[in-house]
Amino acid sequence: MRRTPRFFSSKLSTTERRVYGAATAWFVLAAAAMLWPLYPPFARVRPLVFGMPFALFWLTLILVISFLVGVALFRWESRR
Amino acid sequence: MPAWIVVTGVTVGYLMVSLAVGLYSGRSATKGPEGFIAGDRTLGFLILYFVMGASIFSAFAFLGGPGWAYSRGAAAFYILSYGTIGLIPWYAYAPRVAALGRRFGYVTQAELLAHRFKSRSLSAVLAVITLVAFIPYLTLQMQGAGYVFNVVTEGRVPHWLGAAIAYGVVLIYVYASGVMGVGWTNTFQGIFMMGLAWGLGLYLPFKLYGGVGAMFEELALAVPEMLAPPGLDAAGAPWSWGGYGSAIAISAIGFSIWPHYFMKIYTAKSEAVLKKTIIFYPTFQIFLLPIMFIGFAGILRYPGVTPADSILPTILMSMDLPAFVVGLFCAGALAASMSTGDALLHAAGSIMVRDFFCVLSPRKLTDDEQTRLIRFLLLIISAVAYFFAVMSNVSIVELLLLSYGFIAQIAPVLIAALYWGRATPQGVLAGLAVGCATVIAFQYNPAWQWQQIHPGIFGVLANLAVLVPVSLATAPMDEDHVAQFVVE
Repeated sequence: MRRTPRFFSSKLSTTERRVYGAATAWFVLAAAAMLWPLYPPFARVRPLVFGMPFALFWLTLILVISFLVGVALFRWESRR
Repeated sequence: MPAWIVVTGVTVGYLMVSLAVGLYSGRSATKGPEGFIAGDRTLGFLILYFVMGASIFSAFAFLGGPGWAYSRGAAAFYILSYGTIGLIPWYAYAPRVAALGRRFGYVTQAELLAHRFKSRSLSAVLAVITLVAFIPYLTLQMQGAGYVFNVVTEGRVPHWLGAAIAYGVVLIYVYASGVMGVGWTNTFQGIFMMGLAWGLGLYLPFKLYGGVGAMFEELALAVPEMLAPPGLDAAGAPWSWGGYGSAIAISAIGFSIWPHYFMKIYTAKSEAVLKKTIIFYPTFQIFLLPIMFIGFAGILRYPGVTPADSILPTILMSMDLPAFVVGLFCAGALAASMSTGDALLHAAGSIMVRDFFCVLSPRKLTDDEQTRLIRFLLLIISAVAYFFAVMSNVSIVELLLLSYGFIAQIAPVLIAALYWGRATPQGVLAGLAVGCATVIAFQYNPAWQWQQIHPGIFGVLANLAVLVPVSLATAPMDEDHVAQFVVE
């Protein structure tokens, strides 16, 4: 059986592969940054940012960036 | 006019609007299962956005979210985290699932998986797992509704009646309008609860502390341990990173798998609608911030409230707010409960008919018979959940934990179906069986839960460890058939 597990289709162009790869890398990083062992160094109370404990601001920041990455990806796909 | 009459009036008004929206919206859909279950695959962005948002935010969000922040502090942050990444896998596979659905006429998750693996037993097994996972979930929503009614009417409406009224309304519009009823009521309910969460989440810290910043400043001095993740566990001792992280992981896995969300992939009008819904999901998710602020607001001003889940109603009832506002809260909490309960109920009936009865029936059921059977099952399933909600002492929370563990076992099956051509029916069935057994074993042996990691995670690992070797040891499936599903 030659079919191997793959996440992306082999029919994608190099540019598509790069864009999807970059987006995937961000979301993997985002997930890791909310979990042990990447999150604990940022899981602190101070400084308070926008009135929130730093740990909560950190999660909000990841959520906002993830949203922006998603919007960028969608717009890039729509332009093509 | 006594306050409780105003409160009840606002709540009844909300219920009437939900009912009217739910009944009105069903007129356009066709009468067969494709219309009743998948809305003829015509849903646009706005409605799908609110269906996904409001189905996910259940009674747990409105009562449990503040309750967690109040009693367990930063442990509650996990509910903000899992939604950030939970829906992203859909971006990769949902467009293909939708295309396959259009081509082969699927309206449920198990139809896709059973067809891919050419296995009727897989369909029946998935239907049973789904039903077992849904009942406690639905029960919890009903209890939440009864509870809210009871508190805001100061005990005049007993739990059983409150749950019966709210779910009577749900049953009517789901029965009459199917997924269109679920969709349009969720849009109304979603806007309503979002507005209320932001309003209360910013107002309460302002009123009690002078602002969100001032509140956290005061909390940072008095109880810094409550503000630093992973927060506290249910007993009030420091929680572990394993418990916190695996709670995120199991919820995030469940997000893209829970059959009642998954089915909504088939309702989307187009690939662009589906992708936009996924991308905009975090804008809904962020309303958990004010939800958590509410719980944090209670810590210093209202110590010792039990159960912790009653912190929001407790604060509201003690603040001398206008009765109208309390009524709005009551309606908002009901909206949260009902917008989840309706999706569960609708999906449970649909799945049992399509994946269980249609598959096991010796002859093909007509479209008309299927819709009638779904409606009949809606009555039965509501009755069972209602029985557990008001009359039984079974620990629902424990059952719900098991539910999450079971549902997560579908994830390896789905991934194998779409990404691994060599996966075989024997492999996925064996994986499911071992995965579910592992979840039960770990659930009832807390000592085995290394680092307080959720039993579902151990289940997924065991599932994979069986799925792969058994697939490799059994005969591969027909390549042309499999190629229709797997990414090349």
